[in-house]
Amino acid sequence: MFVSSVKEGVKKGMETTWMLAKVIIPVYFVVTFLQYTPAIDWIAEIFKPVMAIFNLPGEAAIILVIGNFLNLFAAIAAIKAIALTPAEITIISVMLSFSHALLVETAVTKKLGMSVSKVIAIRVGLAIIAGFVLGRVGAIL
Amino acid sequence: MIEIVKEATFGSLKSIYSIAIIVIPIMITLQLLKNYKILDKITKPFGFFSRLFNTSNESVLPLLVGLIFGLAYGAGVIIQTAKEGNLSKRDLFLITAFLAACHAVFEDTLIFVAVGANGFIVLGFRIVAAFILTYILSKKISISEIDSLKSVDLEKIS
Repeated sequence: MFVSSVKEGVKKGMETTWMLAKVIIPVYFVVTFLQYTPAIDWIAEIFKPVMAIFNLPGEAAIILVIGNFLNLFAAIAAIKAIALTPAEITIISVMLSFSHALLVETAVTKKLGMSVSKVIAIRVGLAIIAGFVLGRVGAIL
Repeated sequence: MIEIVKEATFGSLKSIYSIAIIVIPIMITLQLLKNYKILDKITKPFGFFSRLFNTSNESVLPLLVGLIFGLAYGAGVIIQTAKEGNLSKRDLFLITAFLAACHAVFEDTLIFVAVGANGFIVLGFRIVAAFILTYILSKKISISEIDSLKSVDLEKIS
């Protein structure tokens, strides 16, 4: 039973890896190309005025845009590069925890039958609500 | 340009490799636990998930794997479970919604703590929101709708 379990597990593991590879590799290419275009900066520029809703400085927009379009590690690098208070970092972190790496992760959830618009609405919606609530709390404190 | 293609190629292969070295051991472990009848005992304490959202017992395992290891790994287990035919379309939708909001709780939280965020606030907010969201969705999708949801081709996801 041990050997047959391991064999079955390896088979399922390889199947899953292959399934994820098919989903992730194309999106990974898009994300890598995106990094080398000015698109990220443009989008961040658009969102700068909105940051006040979350009680965040305008420069924080670039962190949220990088985290959502690229990935969390890139966003972390951006957080380090911008001078922010611990409260601001917590607000951004909560927002990013709901909504990050949307290109790759939405591709994965689409594989599970969830529509792209629904999953993005859920994640970005939660990020906005959480950012707004924490921003208000931060403003009071 | 060639540099970017190179970076994307190596980067994506590396990320698939890092998925493989986690997902294969997970699948082996789960298979062993299942065949030796230990898995049910592990998921049992987390049965409140399925009772709260009114989903099948089989939905607990993919939820746990996604919560602990991450969305992609959870997705892998979801698809394997769905293949065995134990998940309804409703289960699938609710687990995916929960995991979309909240996954990889250790990794994601620690990343933020590393740059100075309050980990309790980050994790607390995320878990509570995922529960509320999924609960609302579970009430919205009533039992009567399951049949129509089931008619969606499950094969499409494999």
